[in-house]
Amino acid sequence: MSGRARVRARGIACRPSTPEIGRTQASPSPASVDVSDKDTPSSSGYMGTSRISQKMVFLGDSDSTQKDKDGVSSGDVGCTFLGRGGRIRREFMDLGACTREKLAHVRDCKTGSSGIPVKLVTNLFNLDLPQDWQLYQYYVTYIPDLESRRLRIALLYSHSELFNKAKVFDGAILFLLEKLEEKVTELSSETQRGETVKIVITLTRELPSSSPVCFQVFSIIFKKILKKLSMYQIGRNYYNPSEPVEIPQYKLTLWPGYSVSVSQFESSLLFSADVCYKVLRSETVLEFMTDLYHKTGLSSFTQACEKELLGLIVLTRYNNKTYRIDDIDWSVRPTHTFQKRDGAEISYVDYYKQQYDITLSDLNQPVLVSLLKSKRNDNTEARIAHLIPELCFLTGLTSQAISDFQLMKALAEVTHLSPLGRQQRLARLADDIQRNKDARFELETWGLHFGCQMSLTGRIVPLEKILMQDQVFCQPMSAADWSKDVRTCKILSAPSLNKWLIICNNRAEHVNESFLNCLRRVGSSMGFNVDYPKMIKVQEDPAAFLRAIQQHVDADVQLVMCILSSNQKSYYDSIKKYMSSDCPVPSQCVLTRTLNKQGMMMSVATKIAMQMTCKLGGELWAVEIPLKSLMVVGIDVCKDALNKEMAVVGFVASINTRITRWYSRCILQRTTTNVADCLKVLMIGALNKWYQYNHGLPARIIVYRDGVGDGQLKTLIEYEVPQLLSSVAESSSNTSSKLSVIVVRKKCVPRFFMEMNRTLQNPPLGTVVDSEATRPDWYDFYLISQVAHQGTVNPTYYNVIYDNNGLKPDHMQRLTFKLCHLYYNWSGLIRIPAPCQYAHKLTFLVAQSIHKEPSLELANSLFYL
Amino acid sequence: MPNRKASRNAYYFFVQEKIPELRRRGLPVARVADAIPYCSADWAKPVSTPLRRPGMLVSKQSFSPPDISSLSLDSDQALLGGIFYFLNIFSHGELPPHCEQRFLPCEIGCVKYSLQEGILADFHSFINPGEIPRGFRFHCQAASDSSHKIPISNFESGHDQATVLQNLYRFIHPNPGSWPPVYCKSDDRPRVNWCLKHMAKASEIRHDLELLTVEDLVVGIYQEKFLKEPSKTWVRSLLDVAMWDYSSNTRCKWHEENDILFCALAVCKKIAYCISNSLATLFGIQLTEAHVPLQDYKASNSVTPKMVVLDAGRYQKLRVENAGFPHFSSSSQGQGSNTATGDYPSGVKISGQNNSVRGRGITRLLESISSCSSNIHKFSTCETSLTPYMSQKDGYKSFSSLS
Repeated sequence: MSGRARVRARGIACRPSTPEIGRTQASPSPASVDVSDKDTPSSSGYMGTSRISQKMVFLGDSDSTQKDKDGVSSGDVGCTFLGRGGRIRREFMDLGACTREKLAHVRDCKTGSSGIPVKLVTNLFNLDLPQDWQLYQYYVTYIPDLESRRLRIALLYSHSELFNKAKVFDGAILFLLEKLEEKVTELSSETQRGETVKIVITLTRELPSSSPVCFQVFSIIFKKILKKLSMYQIGRNYYNPSEPVEIPQYKLTLWPGYSVSVSQFESSLLFSADVCYKVLRSETVLEFMTDLYHKTGLSSFTQACEKELLGLIVLTRYNNKTYRIDDIDWSVRPTHTFQKRDGAEISYVDYYKQQYDITLSDLNQPVLVSLLKSKRNDNTEARIAHLIPELCFLTGLTSQAISDFQLMKALAEVTHLSPLGRQQRLARLADDIQRNKDARFELETWGLHFGCQMSLTGRIVPLEKILMQDQVFCQPMSAADWSKDVRTCKILSAPSLNKWLIICNNRAEHVNESFLNCLRRVGSSMGFNVDYPKMIKVQEDPAAFLRAIQQHVDADVQLVMCILSSNQKSYYDSIKKYMSSDCPVPSQCVLTRTLNKQGMMMSVATKIAMQMTCKLGGELWAVEIPLKSLMVVGIDVCKDALNKEMAVVGFVASINTRITRWYSRCILQRTTTNVADCLKVLMIGALNKWYQYNHGLPARIIVYRDGVGDGQLKTLIEYEVPQLLSSVAESSSNTSSKLSVIVVRKKCVPRFFMEMNRTLQNPPLGTVVDSEATRPDWYDFYLISQVAHQGTVNPTYYNVIYDNNGLKPDHMQRLTFKLCHLYYNWSGLIRIPAPCQYAHKLTFLVAQSIHKEPSLELANSLFYL
Repeated sequence: MPNRKASRNAYYFFVQEKIPELRRRGLPVARVADAIPYCSADWAKPVSTPLRRPGMLVSKQSFSPPDISSLSLDSDQALLGGIFYFLNIFSHGELPPHCEQRFLPCEIGCVKYSLQEGILADFHSFINPGEIPRGFRFHCQAASDSSHKIPISNFESGHDQATVLQNLYRFIHPNPGSWPPVYCKSDDRPRVNWCLKHMAKASEIRHDLELLTVEDLVVGIYQEKFLKEPSKTWVRSLLDVAMWDYSSNTRCKWHEENDILFCALAVCKKIAYCISNSLATLFGIQLTEAHVPLQDYKASNSVTPKMVVLDAGRYQKLRVENAGFPHFSSSSQGQGSNTATGDYPSGVKISGQNNSVRGRGITRLLESISSCSSNIHKFSTCETSLTPYMSQKDGYKSFSSLS
């Protein structure tokens, strides 16, 4: 698997929210070093699958199963958006955290001024509202009480008072654009059975357009609008099944779609849209089963079937919902009956005929079983849905498909849209919304006006010089990749490697000689002295590797290199686990396959040499940072791969003023959320280290926090920031260091395109956006610090949630950009600040391979690169 | 409003726990306040409840600095000869709380161990997990695939639960009388306990076995030896070691052949290895193949003879046979005589090593030293953290610090 694929997989493993396909692909992902330490050799394939399919896991409204359609009234308000109690969606929860008003230096102006202005087009559209726009929230009760949401809605809607009004109703809460005459309105209706029901509508709130609740109502309005454009909601996005893109040679179908949202941006209400795709296989489960049957034969068919199918996500076209196959019930046939919610017995065949007008052809097929996720988080028994294989389409890609380069390439050709292609799709959506009569009518009833696409002015900050040994400044040929420039310069500092081991299997012998010579040659030109290692040949199994390490590693050994012949995860895991906790010595794993690439030997050796230098505690390059006595910290949190209850907190802090040496620690904690509660230990540890090296405390500390999910911002402000503050305050008696905390998010709504020569391009490196597309309540900005060779670049979003450093926004932005240059595993710019990427790399290693805290003896080197 | 109940302290709970006992003694205690005067004396005593065995309670009241010479050989011998069982049961994942069946037991491993002799015997069996609850097949399969990889159905080696439990009981407790202590890691305890109960229910055998945690055992042994409580982190790091993951003769045959790390038997054996490597050495026990998998480290390296003599001398001095301690010696002898004659249930293997250890200390030491490499000084990282606790003069070199 390619380095890039691994990086992508990595992104998934650690973030709970998955990027949709077509959203993320900015090309030189930082860690895509193809040569060296592989991260999760075998599991990455699996994770890759989940990359595409994860989004499809049970995002659908689980109210409806095949068994009962009663619970759902399709045309109405989804309670996915608004629970009965008016629960707020998670993104909107973040909006409640108003951090900017506490930061005096940016209260009035948070924009910078340096750099060359650049005109940018966005994927945001103006949404105009009348000045006095207001929403009225009512609570509706029924006497006698009615259970059925559908009935509640039908009864209310039949009343003439509400007939022509703009309204949204979920069965309990009613939103109206116009105020009813009375505060409490009583209506009475009659059900079909002749019962009289009294309806009481009570006004509970009047909401201005800036209220988060309004954004939810807007979402509901746009949900209706997109439905009118014949788009289907799957998960959170809307897809258009009528215009599928077929890739017949791989039996794949792509549904084009959009993810949309409405939210308050800096100065106005904006509608944002982005293009996404849903990958489907044009093959039903029944066809798949038949195929399998011919391959395996009867005897092992059921087993093979379970092995292949369990855990896959299927889509049922009749209601466009997705389900996971949890089990297969071989004893049930479509001719068997089940009980509907109203108690009537009906066979599956008849049910599908009645409900969807679908005739089942194979009456002997088994049924698939899917556990439905309970919407409430209590421990009620999970409900089960039976699905007919004939009607289920497979979704996502198998691991086999993901490792198929040609297939992925064909897929990428469709999904990686260039800025121009993306813009065309967006323009079409805007056009459709404005032209469709029903859609326009819906907007008008709500008093909304769909405006034009927004453009804004960003700034391109100057590029940085790379500082090598002897004060050599090198202005790289390309800011995105200076690996060629670096080869001729001497790196900042490198300990000489005198005593080290190479452990390899018997067959790898011939490659080692040439590789070693190459390594020594590149090493000497870099200023990294590599002596001949002790070679140990072992048999080909993890136990032999581990035993060899145990026997030959002693106190003087500086580094162990293992040359592995396969990228089986068990080898890598056992070596890393042993070498980072039981016996803390830096280790380097290399695949035989990489060493066999003859033409690539030089670049392979360079990269390995650089990694080895870092693992021994060396420094490669620096950038000029005018702030003296500045400590930068990166924090990342992710879940352990084996034990989902454990969260891995990675913490990486710079320990010298040049920001080239790092102190890295990782702590495992038992939580369900991605919030760290051990930051005090980590921060104090880092400050002590800083004190050891600099004989004082840093004047400023800037913390970059990655791995924050939707809706966690408040927790972060109230729980993590105080931990950092108190540890900073405790560590010094007189003047304590100044602290800034910045939340880094790789996924954000806006996209920016640069207009040039009458076409659209990705904005250049160093583009900063700090107006219009930002939020009024936050001190935030977008920074593009990566080059996308393919597709559209994704900006990184920075939100400063705490700051008593008082740095000017300009300086904060420049500093952030500079820090994106310092990731030693990639000689180029990366999309997040280096400390964050280090922390991410560390948590990933621990979460995937080690599963325990690495030894503190390694904390002074980047042993996890 | 502040919660008033929060003011309850540890002493309160201590006293509360003591009330039933005081009542049994006929004292008029209605509430905690009444009981306080009777408990103060007990409160002052050092607590070593983890082991829950009267014979192992620390008798000394004062905490003297660890001085080996002042310890009686009796208690040492008792500890050394004491027999423990380490037990683990694997499941096909854990089902959500609303299910009646929370676990699906599929593999069991148990090891009979003493500090002195190392692993004496082991027991391993696959268990037929029974019918998988409808709808949870994927959940179970995913859980299995991510760990022990035992197939969830059509696995021929699985024995039915009643037989397995019967065999386990015969392994642990072949004769009527009091049950020996059985330990597992604290993280696994709920699962193992549930599985034991579940299997007992299925087989209608009474569940007499009391499951204790290994962590408490280690704390207890350490306390016994040094009269100091080790830190929890130290205990955890002692037990969580990767170095024996691939050692030969550690996993069960099936897991070894399929090269899968997660094996119930291996978990138990590794506990034994860890305890041997870091605790048994503190007692001056010479590690044998029954203690740690020495056979994997057959690199011949020279050792300075001086040190061998030194160590051997002390070793022999320690090896004065002593059967003075009632509890432990009786239990160990009872077990010994039994294993010699008894018939073994299926799955039980009796280690052939247990007698080869006896003999002249010096020759044995020389043999084992030459057989184990001097390069394995990094055997345990715990070593560094241990040294502050033990004075250098005691000189019982652990296996790992021999070089």
